[in-house]
Amino acid sequence: MANETATIPDNLRARAQEKGWPLDLVQQALDIGATAEQLIGYMDQGVTADQARQFLAAQAGAAGGGVEPSDALKAKAEEHGWPLDLIAQALSFGAAEEDLIRYMDMGVTVEQARQFMMNGGGGASIEVDLSWMQVPTEWNTRARPTKHGLTLEAINIGKYGEVPDVWEYQTEMPRGAVPIAGVEGMGYSIFQKQEVWSDACAPLYEEAIQRRWRPATDVPWTTIEPLPDDVERAMGQICTHLSEKAQVEADIIGHWEPEISYGYHEVKLYLATVVFEDARAVEVFRKRALSNGGGLGLQSPGWAYRAVVDARNFTEMTTIQMVLQDSLTLGQYEYMEKYAKNPAEKFIFGRMLQDKSRHIAYGITHLKYALLHKPERREEVQRYLDKGEGMQVMDDVRDTATREAFAVYFAGGRENAREGLRGADAMRRRGLQQYLSRLKWATLDRDERLHPGLRAVFES
Amino acid sequence: MPTFPSVEWFNAIKDIVNNDPNFRQLGTVDAVVGVKVENKIYQLTFEAFECTDVRDASESDLRDMDFWLEQPYDLWKDMLDNIKKHGAADLSHTLNTIDLNIPEGLARSTDGYRRDAFYRFNQSIQDFFNASAKIDTQYAPAEAVTA
Repeated sequence: MANETATIPDNLRARAQEKGWPLDLVQQALDIGATAEQLIGYMDQGVTADQARQFLAAQAGAAGGGVEPSDALKAKAEEHGWPLDLIAQALSFGAAEEDLIRYMDMGVTVEQARQFMMNGGGGASIEVDLSWMQVPTEWNTRARPTKHGLTLEAINIGKYGEVPDVWEYQTEMPRGAVPIAGVEGMGYSIFQKQEVWSDACAPLYEEAIQRRWRPATDVPWTTIEPLPDDVERAMGQICTHLSEKAQVEADIIGHWEPEISYGYHEVKLYLATVVFEDARAVEVFRKRALSNGGGLGLQSPGWAYRAVVDARNFTEMTTIQMVLQDSLTLGQYEYMEKYAKNPAEKFIFGRMLQDKSRHIAYGITHLKYALLHKPERREEVQRYLDKGEGMQVMDDVRDTATREAFAVYFAGGRENAREGLRGADAMRRRGLQQYLSRLKWATLDRDERLHPGLRAVFES
Repeated sequence: MPTFPSVEWFNAIKDIVNNDPNFRQLGTVDAVVGVKVENKIYQLTFEAFECTDVRDASESDLRDMDFWLEQPYDLWKDMLDNIKKHGAADLSHTLNTIDLNIPEGLARSTDGYRRDAFYRFNQSIQDFFNASAKIDTQYAPAEAVTA
């Protein structure tokens, strides 16, 4: 016995004792060519003494005349440098020849193959480590469905419902889970609650999920009848404009999603519904444009879009897009619902009112939250709106096509377009009035600071 | 035959929509909505998938509601007659269209944010009034609503 153990290095002996590997097993492994470093590596990977014995027994069986490899397999093994004892051992574990050839062709190394078989060869039992069951998360949590079902608010209980002012983790760890060391960051850049939060986002998410609709089958498309050519052209232009706006919002919100850290998952979830609803808007306006003998119209100048695309922080984007822009868009939906020429359009704009007003609800409640928690941001927000309104005026001046299209549609034809322009102006006034009213609710007074180009709408 | 406006009339509509799977399919509605017919005021509470409460209300209750619907009695009757005739509001009589046609607006609120519930739940509130096509309505004399 003394002779057998004399060849075991001290570090291997110590590790074997620590891991519960008997020294005779260690000696046996060394005798068949394993190195001390390999054995220590196997022990550190969690290979048990039983698994090692099984491996050695299989190897001994293979050496004693197990399954004989075919000539083709021998040739492939020679080509890839796999020793024949390893091939024999794999065959004795039950591996098929074609599998072994495939592994070799895939570039699996001799060392990887040995390690795989030491770990049980895919067929042996694997010892489980249940230490994860001891993690100190809050346990015995029992959320109960409400009248609304099992909502996000219903599961926000205990620590799971604590939304911190600052989220400290850069990884995708869910709120309430236990972090582990060494996980790579996910590239989030927003870690402060005031930058994204709204108390309404969880209920708005549930509302958006519950109140969804399907353009392909819910809209009564067959009620659309041929319209005079100028009215159909007006509708095509309006649909072009509205689908452009929806696509911009979807793209922008999609861009900001990965910036928001996982601690504020309610915001991330709600914004996902905004992207979905904007996609639905793009879909339904394109379908309307292409469903009645018409088509699309002129592209918009896009100045207002740039104000949103160029936003450098989330509140800036939200304020310009989901308060200013969406208030004007909601006004357009309202008027299009009023002047709808058939039940299909009535349905489309009635549903769009609902979707868009949720976007505004998030935008305005986030703005209020940000201003109440960071009052020093008030002037900053005013400046964002200076810029957003200015860009909107640039569009208003240049986008005569869309304004005239609304006028023709409202008036029911080009001959009454002048009268229709009054409707288009009333629509813009309404959008702006509601925009200012919502800002007041968010504690931001902009009556005196509204861009002169927009103020002119009230004086026309 | 229930009389408009009255708690009895609104309860009849409430019973219809609460048993209508199509109303539920429109999604959750969470709003406290007033209906003002001249001097008569009613409060309708919507919660989750149903209308949960109908009651008489007063002028001072309006400020606690998300929004209220208000128009002259003749226009209420015109809207309900139109719904009865067509089975649902036609293109000229939807709540949104009426809202734009009345200078003061049909949907009113003391709160710039809560008024937006009119838009968020527009189709459900519309569906609620459309359900009146399923009952026979008699109208209260004008003196009764102005008293």
